[in-house]
Order: sequence, then structure tokens, then C-alpha cells
Amino acid sequence: MTEPSIIPLEMDDGRDPAVREYIDNTLAALLDGLTSHPPEPLSITLKRRVRQTPHIINPISRALEAIPRSETHKTYCWPGKTAHEAWKFAAILQILAILDQAIRMGQLISKRDIYYIDPEFFRAQNIVDRIVDDLAYTIGVNRTALNVEAAAKGLVMGDFRLIRGPDILIDMQGAIEDTLIPRVENGDEIDIARARWVLVIEKEAVFHRLARISFHTRALAGEGILVTGKGYPDFMTRRFLRAISDSVSSQSRTLPRFYALTDGDPHGMAIMSTYKYGSAAHLHQNAQLSIPRLQWLGLRVSDVIAVPEVLGDKALLTLTIRDRRKIVTMLQNSPVWASDGPEPEWRAELQRMLVLNLKAEIEILYECHGGLEGWINRKMFRQE
Amino acid sequence: MSKQYIPWVNAENAHISDIYSLAVTDKQLLSVSGGSAIKVHSLTDTGFPLVQCIDDAHSNGCHHIVTDAAGSRAVSAGFDGSLKTWSCHDGHWVADEKVTADLKHASAWAIALSCDGQYLAGVTEQGRIKVWDLAADGNLIRDHDTKGSFGVTIDLSSDGRMIATGHQNGRIYVFSTETGRMPYSLQGLVEPVRAVAFSPGSKLLAAAGDSKVISLYNCSSGNRIAYLAGHTGWITSLSWSSTGEYLLSGSFDGKIKVWSMETKTCVATIPEIEKVVWSAKWLPKIGRAEGFVLGGANCSIDFYREASA
Repeated sequence: MTEPSIIPLEMDDGRDPAVREYIDNTLAALLDGLTSHPPEPLSITLKRRVRQTPHIINPISRALEAIPRSETHKTYCWPGKTAHEAWKFAAILQILAILDQAIRMGQLISKRDIYYIDPEFFRAQNIVDRIVDDLAYTIGVNRTALNVEAAAKGLVMGDFRLIRGPDILIDMQGAIEDTLIPRVENGDEIDIARARWVLVIEKEAVFHRLARISFHTRALAGEGILVTGKGYPDFMTRRFLRAISDSVSSQSRTLPRFYALTDGDPHGMAIMSTYKYGSAAHLHQNAQLSIPRLQWLGLRVSDVIAVPEVLGDKALLTLTIRDRRKIVTMLQNSPVWASDGPEPEWRAELQRMLVLNLKAEIEILYECHGGLEGWINRKMFRQE
Repeated sequence: MSKQYIPWVNAENAHISDIYSLAVTDKQLLSVSGGSAIKVHSLTDTGFPLVQCIDDAHSNGCHHIVTDAAGSRAVSAGFDGSLKTWSCHDGHWVADEKVTADLKHASAWAIALSCDGQYLAGVTEQGRIKVWDLAADGNLIRDHDTKGSFGVTIDLSSDGRMIATGHQNGRIYVFSTETGRMPYSLQGLVEPVRAVAFSPGSKLLAAAGDSKVISLYNCSSGNRIAYLAGHTGWITSLSWSSTGEYLLSGSFDGKIKVWSMETKTCVATIPEIEKVVWSAKWLPKIGRAEGFVLGGANCSIDFYREASA
């Protein structure tokens, strides 16, 4: 695995004035409060998403979005009513100061970096994560506008060039190794050369297996690009895929097909839904990240049952009680799986899993006729 | 001696999604699917027309529906775990709010209703076998623990004296409803059991599943008396004809077979349905023709009848 050759990066600094403005105003207000006579009580108010908010599929963006008004406000005061409130206030202020510095210096920082500046003070990584998310949500921007990014997680293999203005930041043409998914900024173009398909893969091991045999150049459907977000995809992986989708639309070339290859289990289905419609945890970002053109390549449980002579019935796994609960929750809560929703086939698959009480992992396909790549070749042709 | 069955009536796209369960009464056919509606077809009118559609019966879809012998009560089980009760007045079904509320905290995957409609039997995802008395505020009157394997299927004998369940781990349990005891756990199969059915006289139990073989057991001894082999796909559904002469079986590969109990052989195979058949049921004798009805992943309700000689 090679690091992408994109250091140093251009910064978002100053591009989103809302961020500067919010930080300046907030810090200035606190200073005013401190220096006024008599001192005024200090407070910071964060907007936060309501957990378990009802959500819908926006008919225009085709992404999962919050129904308006599903947010709450929480005000933290200094010194506050409790020691906990005082500490929370201080933690928010501390993080704001760190972000302020990162933006001024043009540095990228991760949530993990922030936590490790003072782990004892912040107590837990998820506390930092939540405050950063709430700040981004309060300002109304993506996390990246705060110069905060998750450590890159996703991998990509195949020919592409990342273009920013007149510059080619990354040129992966002829690359023989996979690379970490690069950071994509607003306005970037991704040129995917001759690629006719983009295969989005749930599992890293499956990605490596296909990358090792250069499936991206050897598929019967022509050249393509392999991507994995290693399970539930992170922001950067989703943004990269969306940039490919947007770029090819604007280049008016033949649109490549986007396929999802996940396990035939509730998590695989939820991961595919995250790529296509977005995640329920970050509803405000989904409209910029969803990939409405994503098609379901597999794996369906019925794909495996259909060829038992080749794969053997034993290749299937029994659902756990937790799997069953997860499926029922998906059917009940997400508009993606609703009876009048956009994906009747997905809904039917979840219901069949419940009836059969079975699930199937992609690795099963290693054993089938022609192996995993043979199966993908056949499936891609059937879907064309 | 082979028999021939021919397509009769086809209610194309009767449901928007896989049809998981059919219930047949003397006059009507009730069907449920991955969609939210319960549909009712008349069996007494030519062409078996749709006579009622209960929209939004189960918003997350429905996987089981059962009726009593008189066709006056039905119970349906939704994918969200809810059980709902329905009652029939002059051929029209309405929600039975009282009994549904009584069963609010009841849970079961597969269900069966006694002939008189008083007792509801169910088997849970954890393999527990339960009986509720619907005439006594839905009281739980039996609760048996098995080995904790997912309960795929259940049947109640027509004399009301036995409950049989089939489980993911291949086990088959038979309980006496009178004593609340398990006289025997049948020498089961290794692979999941997807259908169990008592013969009309309650003397035989048929069981089948992923082993692709139907096993016939003598209910009083618990001994296996026959195997019926011939299916090439997992067996999803079993139904006895009203006289007990024939057994109907449906399969994951869409093949349907009719078995003679006299000769213990397959006397008819319906090959043309290519998708999984989740439910296959004999129809009441209509005129002279003997027939059955199928529901499955093609979303259609397919009626077949015996070809006249």
C-alpha cells in the first residue's frame, strides 16, 4: 500500500467564512463576558442532532435526510450548576481553541489528535467526537471545514487522476498498488480515464483479493476501479466516490456503473444503504455524499441457495438473535426499507433472511465456479 | 399411478412482494406477503376474485397467517413481531381489537390456530413453544422450553391434542396439549426443518426442510415410517388433502410435488414455477375438481386443478 502523493495539501482555510465567523464571535463573546463589570455569566450553546431522529428520503437529492426541526439546543455555562457542566464547558472551549489554531496554521487535525492533546482532560475519544460533530452541526458545515478529518480508512485501486484547478494532485494511471483514498475538496475533479465501472466493496480482505489479481484491468466488463471503505464507510471514502460520480456527470462521458458488493447480512445491507443514501448519524451531510446510482451486485442469500451443488448448503450461516433484531429495526425505522420506499428488492431480501434465518458472507464465493472474479463477471453482465 | 394438475387461475402480482403464507377456509383464501396488506380471495366465485384487501395490516410485512376451521377467526404474524387477530362476519374480515390487545405482549415466529379458534400455538425465535387461550384474555397457558434453536414451523393436530414444531437445528418436537408434556422428541433431521403438518386424522406427522426429503412419523409411536425423496430443492411447505390421501409439498426451487399416501410415491410434479414457493395449500373440494394454491417469490397466487380424465 502506498501513500498518495498529495502532501502538501491546499487548505480549506478561509473558504468557508462561517467557520471563522463562528469561532471569532464565540471567543469574542466569552472575552467580553469575562472583562465586563460586573462579569457576565459565560455560556456556549450547541445545536445537536436528536438521536433517533425521524428521517426521510429527500426526493430531490435521493439521500437520507432529517425531517426539519429534529434538533435540540444545549447551553453549557461557566461555572455552571455542576462540576460536570463546568468541565463540559471547558472541554468545548478547549476544542474550539485547538480548531482555531489548526485553521490559522492551515493544519489538518484528526479527532484522535485532539483527544491525545489531553486525554486525561477529555476522558474519552467519543466525547471529543461528539463535541466536534456538534460544533460542525452548530455552524452548519462539514467536519472537514473545521480542518478535522478522520484518519484515512478507505482504499482504492485503479486508474484515476485527482485534479484541482490547473494541477494534477494525484496520478494513479498505471499504478500497480492500491492506495489510501485521498482527501477530496470542493471543486476537485476526478478523471477516471477508461473506467467503465466502480466496484464498492464492504470488506478489506475481499478488496485485496481482487486487487491482487488486478481485477480492475481484467474484468470482462472492461476496466474499472475498486474501492473499499472497510466496513461502514468513512466520510472521505464517501466523498471520493461522490466526486467520481459528479465528475463523470460533468464530463458527459459514458457513465460508469457503480456496484456494491457486501455480505448478505443486515450489516452488509446497512453498509450498502450508507453508500447509496447516507447514514442516519450524519443526516446533514448525506445530500453531498450519497450515490443514488449505486446498484446492488450482491451478495443475496438466494444467490447462494440457487447453486447449492457448487457452494454447498453449509456455506450459509444462521442469523443470530442480534442479527434478527437489527433487521427488524432496519425495517421499522429506515425509510430506505419502508414498504413504499425506494428499494423493494432490499426490503424483500431482509424479509427473506428472516424467513430463512440465514445469512451469507462474500467469502463463500471464493469456492464457486470461476471463483469470486468469475461470479462478479457473470453478475456484472447480467445487470447491464 | 400418476396424476395431472393444470394451471387453473392465476392472480398475477396479487402482492407487491413475496407471498409468505396462505390460509384456506371453506369459502376464502387469505394471503400475506412482504407488503403490508392481507388479501382475501373468494373460493366460491368463478375465477377466485379478490373480495377484500386489508391495507396496512402489518406495515413491516407479514410472514404467517392462520385461520380456524370455520373461517371465522384469523391470526397474522408480522415481521416486527406483532400478532394481530381478525374476525369474519358474512365473508368480511375486521380487526379484532380485543384479542389483538390481549396478545400485545405475546411473541412468536410461527403460529397455528386450533380448529375451534380458541387456542393459538406459537414457537419463538428462541425455540420456546407457547399456547395462548384466546377465550380467556389471551392467557399464556403453556410455555415449553426446547433446546433454544430457532422455531421455524409449527402445527396443531386437528383433534387439538398435539403440537409439533420444527427447528433450525433439525429437531422436531411433539407436545401433548392435554398433559403439557413432550411424549417424544422425534428422531429428527440434521438440517433445518421448514415445514411440519399433521394428517387430518392426526395419526401421521409429515416433516421436511433443507434435507429435501419428507419424513413421515407415526404420531402414537414416534417412529419414522417412510421417507419421500425426490425434491431437488429445500422443502418450504407441506399440506395434507382433506381425506389424507395426498400430501402436497412446495420447494425453494419452485417445484411442487403431490405424493400418494397409499403408495408413498410422487404422483405429480409441477415444474413451471421457477421461483421459491413459500406456501402451498390444498383447496376445499370445489365441485368435482381437486386443486391447490401456491404463493411465493413470483408475487402471484397460482391455482391448479386436477386435469379431468
